[in-house]
Amino acid sequence: MSRELSPRAKLLLYGALLVLAVPFVFPTWWMVTSSLKPVADIFAFPPQLLPTNPRLEAYQRVFELQPFGRQYLNSLYIALVVTVGTLAVSALAGYAFARIRFRGQNVLFLVVLAGLLVPSEVTIVPLFQMFFAAGLIDTHWPLILVPILGAPSVLATFIMRQFFIALPGELEEAARVDGLGRFATFWRIALPLARPALGAVAIFTFLHSWNLYLEPIVFLSTPERFTLPQALTQFVDAYGGPMWNVQLAAASMTALPVLVVFVIAQKQFVEGLAHTGLKG
Amino acid sequence: MTIGKGLRGVAVALTGALALTACGGGDDAASGPATLRMTIWSANEAHLKLFTEIADEYTRNNPDVASITFDPLPFENYTTTLTTQIAGGNAPDLAWVFENSAPDFVSSGALLPLDDALRTTEGYGYDDLSPATLRLWQHDGKLYGYPFSTSPFGVFVNTDLLTQAKQQTPAELIAAGRWTWENALAAAGATKQATGKAGLVIRDFDYKGWDNLSTFWTGWGARAWSEDGRTCGFAAPEMVDAMSTLHRAIFTQQALPGPGTTADFFAGDAAMTVTQISRASLLKEDGFEWDLVPLPAGPKGTYSVIGQGGIGVLKRSPHAEAATDFLAFLTNPTNSAKLAQFFPPPRQSLLTAETLAATNPQLTPEQLQTVVIDGITNGVVKPSHTGQAELSQQVRAGLDPLWRPEADVPGVLGQLCATIQPLLTK
Amino acid sequence: MSQTDTGVGRVDHRPAPGRAHPGPAAAGPPPYWTSRRRDQLTGYLFIAPQMVGSAVFVILPLILVVWYSLHEWNVLAGTFEFVGTDNYAALAEDTSLPSVLTATGLFSVGLVAFNLGLALLLAVLLNQRLRGTTLFRTLFFSPVVVSLVAWTIVWGFLLQDDGGINGLLDTVGVAGPNWLRGEGTAMVSVIVVQVFKNVGLNMVLFLAALQGVPAELYEAAEVDGASRARQFWRITVPLISPTILLTSIITVVGSLQVFAQIAVLTQGGPGTSTTVLVYYLYQQAFQFHHFGYGATLSIVLFAIVLGLTVLQWQMRKRWVHHES
Repeated sequence: MSRELSPRAKLLLYGALLVLAVPFVFPTWWMVTSSLKPVADIFAFPPQLLPTNPRLEAYQRVFELQPFGRQYLNSLYIALVVTVGTLAVSALAGYAFARIRFRGQNVLFLVVLAGLLVPSEVTIVPLFQMFFAAGLIDTHWPLILVPILGAPSVLATFIMRQFFIALPGELEEAARVDGLGRFATFWRIALPLARPALGAVAIFTFLHSWNLYLEPIVFLSTPERFTLPQALTQFVDAYGGPMWNVQLAAASMTALPVLVVFVIAQKQFVEGLAHTGLKG
Repeated sequence: MTIGKGLRGVAVALTGALALTACGGGDDAASGPATLRMTIWSANEAHLKLFTEIADEYTRNNPDVASITFDPLPFENYTTTLTTQIAGGNAPDLAWVFENSAPDFVSSGALLPLDDALRTTEGYGYDDLSPATLRLWQHDGKLYGYPFSTSPFGVFVNTDLLTQAKQQTPAELIAAGRWTWENALAAAGATKQATGKAGLVIRDFDYKGWDNLSTFWTGWGARAWSEDGRTCGFAAPEMVDAMSTLHRAIFTQQALPGPGTTADFFAGDAAMTVTQISRASLLKEDGFEWDLVPLPAGPKGTYSVIGQGGIGVLKRSPHAEAATDFLAFLTNPTNSAKLAQFFPPPRQSLLTAETLAATNPQLTPEQLQTVVIDGITNGVVKPSHTGQAELSQQVRAGLDPLWRPEADVPGVLGQLCATIQPLLTK
Repeated sequence: MSQTDTGVGRVDHRPAPGRAHPGPAAAGPPPYWTSRRRDQLTGYLFIAPQMVGSAVFVILPLILVVWYSLHEWNVLAGTFEFVGTDNYAALAEDTSLPSVLTATGLFSVGLVAFNLGLALLLAVLLNQRLRGTTLFRTLFFSPVVVSLVAWTIVWGFLLQDDGGINGLLDTVGVAGPNWLRGEGTAMVSVIVVQVFKNVGLNMVLFLAALQGVPAELYEAAEVDGASRARQFWRITVPLISPTILLTSIITVVGSLQVFAQIAVLTQGGPGTSTTVLVYYLYQQAFQFHHFGYGATLSIVLFAIVLGLTVLQWQMRKRWVHHES
């Protein structure tokens, strides 16, 4: 579809894109600017697009009310550990399901795929009991182990398998003929080629962990161990009244760094995702 | 390198998984000094500080309790989170319980009876507890929860806004003997007209927390359900009356902000708000001029409504005895006096304007007498029922059609009763 | 390596830590560890972490859920009684269930249609030869990386009657509805908030697929005088159909698992208009403390997801252009 367009068509297209961009950009814009307003101005009508006298007071309050720095660190390190762990588990499994022939392969793959179909709400109670029996409640283990090994990693394995299936096998065959073992073939030949898919899996996984909401609420109870989404809903005064500007300040701090990383690395992000093999 | 790390992660994970399947459950309770955990819904620093101070004092004198932690759960999902913890076998030793889940907790057998322990505690003065405040927490003659906070509803007034709108202040109306809902709503509607700010806000109602409306309909003698909890009261004539008035006040008089409109009294967005007096702590020192008055009179005369928070000891706590002992300490006369600065106590000896004034510097003795003390002694507790969560959800959904300008009030309320009646008799 | 690995036979240390080969090193009778057997073992080892994980964190909890669904479990009282299929019989008598299933269906259909439609539209627009498409691609994708709870909280503010959306509409002279309080508009709001959050993912996948369509096909069609619309339906759609299938499966399954958005925005209301199955399940189990019935609803949800996926997978043979 990439043919030269007439100037008029271009203008129309820009107009359409601009209008379409509003609902994607406005919420973020509103979040950041409102976090700089005093509470009374947040619901000023008509809304102010820019704060009349911006102040950072709300940002200061975020750190006074909660161990927010600590919570930030929690979310960050959990997401990183989960990402690395998922990459390992899913690359191995995805490669095996795509390339290696073993008995029961299809059945086992279907068993794994079942994980795609199990919403986390379904299994949260038994998981809670299991982790309680293991003495791991109010620790980060459930938030690390379940995503790496349980249902959330299945999508990653699926993506990796699709990628390896689509990958031409000649290089690996050549390596095998040269006497390279399976693992070495995987490690030295297949994995480097799979960088785009690994990138996509990393992004998916990181965001999934970063967004997790139900699980932290259920598993964690000490504010020092909270993760960010959970902390975001905690900015209420003693009687449950929300502190809007503080909440928005915390939300901004949660969103902006990831956004900045994304904008810097957007090419790798988007193109990595595009090459997941999900295109079929 | 990454893979190496990953594999180590896998190894750790496998060990964890093995531990999961092998381990039946760590029942190493009872022996050694206990650690107690109390779930609370306040994350307020001042509250936490006071609790921690009292706990520290306790642990110093009781070597069998190593530490006491206070575990603030999110206010909005408090009961849900608490129940999840109990379901998962991670019940706290002590828990705050909202008045609306009191029947569920008290009658289910989840809590331990407290009276014997409290009565035998030296210097406790059990008979000092006001019987009216205990009723909700009793079952078969035993006390299952200590109502540490009995907080009456009152009306906070932004006198600046009312004056600006050239309206009589509630204080003036009270003096003239005309502090009724009719006049209150009229003043609220006029303020909205004149200033564009909201008139009167029933705090925490927000068209969802309907039990807060009992602060309104009780003035009409209406109730959500009968005393024994078996008959729906929403379709009764007095309720239809009250709700019709409220509906008119919202959609015709615009005395209350409509659904989906936000107005925070404490940020200066509304002339009046109905809320518990403990919210006085939200008033800013350099803010507007304010007043606190009792609820306006309804057609059935004057009345007051209270909300309660109780503390219970979980039956499943491995340290139930220590927990009960700590509760007795936490609520003894000395500590009750300290807690009174945040939570109106159930102790009659503390319910005097003088004692309360010492710890509530924001309120005048007169406000304390009329709103707090009279409220606690005569107040009707907000509606509660066993199976509260489901019932509450059904009522919320059933009332939703009411919050539209063209709603048929008796029709909606009749339908609501038809829906919830089976739950009431269950 | 540990010290027990004493090394007489430390000759051959091929870099294959992922596989065990305890077979004899020297030649002899036909070895048990044929390359095929070795390969099988490697395969099993490679999938071992995932399989063990699935067993422990997916299958076992699922079995437990089935077990719970046969019980009446009163959390507060601490009782757990076997009630057979009572909970399943209760499904038929649950008067809320029809409206919950309707809401679930409406939500999923609306979400999938709007999501895929918008994703395709954006992808086609961005696939034009135009300066600045990268900027727009970044903008459209950006909500994907914004924390879900933050995004939803912000939209919750914006969708209030006196919130930013109606403020914006007001400036162009339109009086907006009370979004989260009307039954129809609440459903639309929840769908739209969710779509804007995640449509960037599908958009990127579509964009990649579009770029994979050979330009010669369009050129040939142009020569034949086919209109743009015709080209789109006859060339573009069939060629990217595998992507459409995959994104639709993922989106449908995802739509049935939407929870935080509803919890933050509407709590299932007004009335029960946005009470979808996941949210209802959460209410029954965690709010109403009916864990047994909640578990039964989990099974229903699982069955629906499974059924839909199988259906879609079957359909691929019908309408997906090529299966490589």
